Amino acid sequence: MAAADPGSLDEIRALARIIDELDYYALLGVERKAQSHAVRLAYHAASRRFHPDAHRQFGEEARAAAERISKRVAEAYSVLRDPRRRILYDERLEKGGDANVRMPLVEANAEAGRRAAEDRGGKTPNGKRYFALAQADLARGDLVSATRNVFTALTFEPDNAFFKERLSELKATKK
Amino acid sequence: MAELAIGIDLGTSNSCVAIARAGGVEVLPNAYGESITASVVAFAEGGAITVGNAARANVIHDPHNTVSSSKRLIGRYFFSEEVKKARAICAYEIVEGPNHGVRIQVRGQQYSLPEISALILREMKQVAEAKLGQPVTKAVITVPAYFNDNQRQATKDAARIAGLEVLRMLNEPTAAALAYGFGKGLTQRVAIYDLGGGTFDISVLEIGKDVFEVLSTCGDTFLGGDDFDDRLIDQLADEFVAKQGINLRSDPYALEKLKVAAESAKRGLSLDDEVEIRIPDVVVGPDGKGRSLERRLTIQEYSSLVMDLIMRTFKVCDEALQQANLTTRDLAGVILVGGPTRLPLIRHAVRDYFQQEPKSDVNPDEVVALGAAIHASSLVQNSQDAYLLDVTSLSLRVGVAGGLAETVIDRNTPVPIEQTRLFTTFQDNQESVKIRVYQGESRQAAENELLGQFEFAGFRKARRGDVKIAVTFEIDSDGIVQVTARDPESGQTASTRITLSSGLSEEDLQKILAKNPVDNVVTATTPTPVQPASSRPGAAAAAVAAAAAARSSSASAAPSVAAAATATVSTAATAAAASSVVQPPRVAPTPPVAAPARVARPAPPPAPAPAPVAAAAPAIAPAEDEIEVLDEGDATLDLEIGGELPSDLSADLSSELPEELPDLPMLEPGDAEAAGGEAVLDDGPPLELDREELGGAPTAEGLDRSELEITGGYTAIPGAPAPRGDGLEVDDLGGAADEPVPLESADELFDRHRSADLSPHAASDVAVDLDVDVDLER
Repeated sequence: MAAADPGSLDEIRALARIIDELDYYALLGVERKAQSHAVRLAYHAASRRFHPDAHRQFGEEARAAAERISKRVAEAYSVLRDPRRRILYDERLEKGGDANVRMPLVEANAEAGRRAAEDRGGKTPNGKRYFALAQADLARGDLVSATRNVFTALTFEPDNAFFKERLSELKATKK
Repeated sequence: MAELAIGIDLGTSNSCVAIARAGGVEVLPNAYGESITASVVAFAEGGAITVGNAARANVIHDPHNTVSSSKRLIGRYFFSEEVKKARAICAYEIVEGPNHGVRIQVRGQQYSLPEISALILREMKQVAEAKLGQPVTKAVITVPAYFNDNQRQATKDAARIAGLEVLRMLNEPTAAALAYGFGKGLTQRVAIYDLGGGTFDISVLEIGKDVFEVLSTCGDTFLGGDDFDDRLIDQLADEFVAKQGINLRSDPYALEKLKVAAESAKRGLSLDDEVEIRIPDVVVGPDGKGRSLERRLTIQEYSSLVMDLIMRTFKVCDEALQQANLTTRDLAGVILVGGPTRLPLIRHAVRDYFQQEPKSDVNPDEVVALGAAIHASSLVQNSQDAYLLDVTSLSLRVGVAGGLAETVIDRNTPVPIEQTRLFTTFQDNQESVKIRVYQGESRQAAENELLGQFEFAGFRKARRGDVKIAVTFEIDSDGIVQVTARDPESGQTASTRITLSSGLSEEDLQKILAKNPVDNVVTATTPTPVQPASSRPGAAAAAVAAAAAARSSSASAAPSVAAAATATVSTAATAAAASSVVQPPRVAPTPPVAAPARVARPAPPPAPAPAPVAAAAPAIAPAEDEIEVLDEGDATLDLEIGGELPSDLSADLSSELPEELPDLPMLEPGDAEAAGGEAVLDDGPPLELDREELGGAPTAEGLDRSELEITGGYTAIPGAPAPRGDGLEVDDLGGAADEPVPLESADELFDRHRSADLSPHAASDVAVDLDVDVDLER
């Protein structure tokens, strides 16, 4: 069995003290450009280190601190694991300031929803055109052509999360 | 002696206890060698209480005083659909308790649901203690993943009453995954398909090294093996009416016999393609002669009765996969949990849906308890060999102006979690706000489960919108919710704990702990001497089915010769008095996993005190006052109806359930005004449609009339179409004070939904799934 590696009491106390100044990346200990898989592994590692259950023997204070950190870790993961929420969070961090290191999940959700609605259908003339072609392909059941057209649409709108999702979906379907 | 902590799977139909020690993890069998114990409590005359399989055997003779499937009622409101359904089919009396809670009345005494569950937990604790030879005080207890906070709290209360310290409340599918993957060094994604007696859960997990991460979980707390039985009961009863003109549903004894027969038939059908249902003298006709029910049932017939229920589980599976952003192809395994999943019918459907054979090396009855035991052991020993990263299965919401409920924490968010939102006052000079907390997936407050409410006061009086109130919502690792309100200006913090609307108060709990009803429990640590068969009710009529029952009971492993003898005797009595499912002779090659039909299990001997003699006569020739033919389905209508519902609520419900109307207590006129004109549903958007689509979530909103007080500015204008009275508006965090909630416009919702039709993945955060169509009417 892999040995657990709970964080030390000092580490937990220190972290609990400065937690409001840490952004989600710092908290999980990943780079800003970390892949989603790395984010997940970091979440697992952080959960291991700060799991309140792993600090029962240190008494109530340590447990409470660990609980506090665990909650923030879960929050960080909730935001960073979702590509759309993560984009929003990155924008927030760009603004700077302590108030922006946290992002309420509801806000992230609503905003991500708004963005998704904007993304759908496309934002540039060419993006729109090729995505419409892809939809027509799909209606005919031509997955190959649909994939190609979504790919083309993405070259015009590389940031369109909606297109990206469609593309990965199409790829998965073809498999 | 090393400190031991057990894992308890507290199930709707059966419970199971397990322990993990140095030697490995194992189920602790009860005194009769059975690994699972029926979650049934029988109250005998004279105050003796029996729990377990002995109690289950009692249900036919004394249905009024035998409580089964109580888990379906725990943590529910009296007016909820589930309770209504239970009142129609349960012979024991279900009455309304304080704050619209549920109480069970047996032998003139009222028990709360946590008290009933405590009796079962206490029994499991004693089973463990007898086996381990030392006291046990700590446990991990499992609950369905889809249990809401009310249900979790109530279960926690039950443990406390039973004298158990709950180390952790674990979601059943998560426990199952732990038992399945623990120590195997797996790295894979699995789905846990958990169909229990009363609930259905599906969880998708990623197992990696020592981490068990729940990616998503969905469920239906109104769907379980009991519903399968109900279908068959209805079918049999309908046929009986057509043939004999007698309604079995109005006779509690006959109904219990039907229930036993339906369950046995279900079990029989997991072994064979055809069973014979035979209930001799199921009821006494007007001519004083007994009428029997006999029928062959094929697996095809059964399948057509329940297939829609099975399909309903797959709708939930769709949702879970969508939330996890996965397809069935991404799963490396499917694990079946719960007795009903033994049905080949379900196994095949699951195989077709997931496009793979479900794992067969998992015992669906024991896997949850085993997982709980593993977790219990790692908690008590501080050896963190496995980390469980679970999610919350229901969205947490707060009531805001306009009868809406704003999401604060979405479902499938990892726990533990904490979120703070800023709110503002709704009226000038408002003195207090009422904070209502809900769980559920509807934007309409009334369609979610009300967890509780509290009032926050003491902030400065100011114009509406000027005062900010920070409300913090926490969900801990047990899935228990805590809410705190704070005034950021003064730093003053409100009385925080949610007062449960239907649960037990701390005071109630203390009272219960003081009187300790569990002391009466007849413990079944050693099998008691066999009673002569002739003293058993129904034994006279035993002849018919005895042979078949005895055959299968002797086939099942009995702990000792004495117990085996007991088994034959009491089984014969049971089977004859109730029913028996006679399987075709070619039953021989019984797969080892499948438990023998329950009717034929070695039933423990009756406890010394509670000899159900009183019930003997009714079982065969019902006394007139006991069985009077009431209207269909109203076997328990002799209930007193206490408490009041708001009239507008009953009116609302009546449009949907006209025949239920007489059941609904009406609000006295004037109460609405007394409540400060705080209209409950009158300002609500068309609710009927939504409720139907959302599976009839119990309408909890605003029912806590008794506690309602007139406070604050918003109630000062009686008669005014006071918006909801929550007195809260969501303040856009840090934004313009009066900007309303980040509302999704109807268009947007529609738009998003439409895109969901195109591709399931786009809908991952659509909060209102308009496609869910859950049929509760049945």
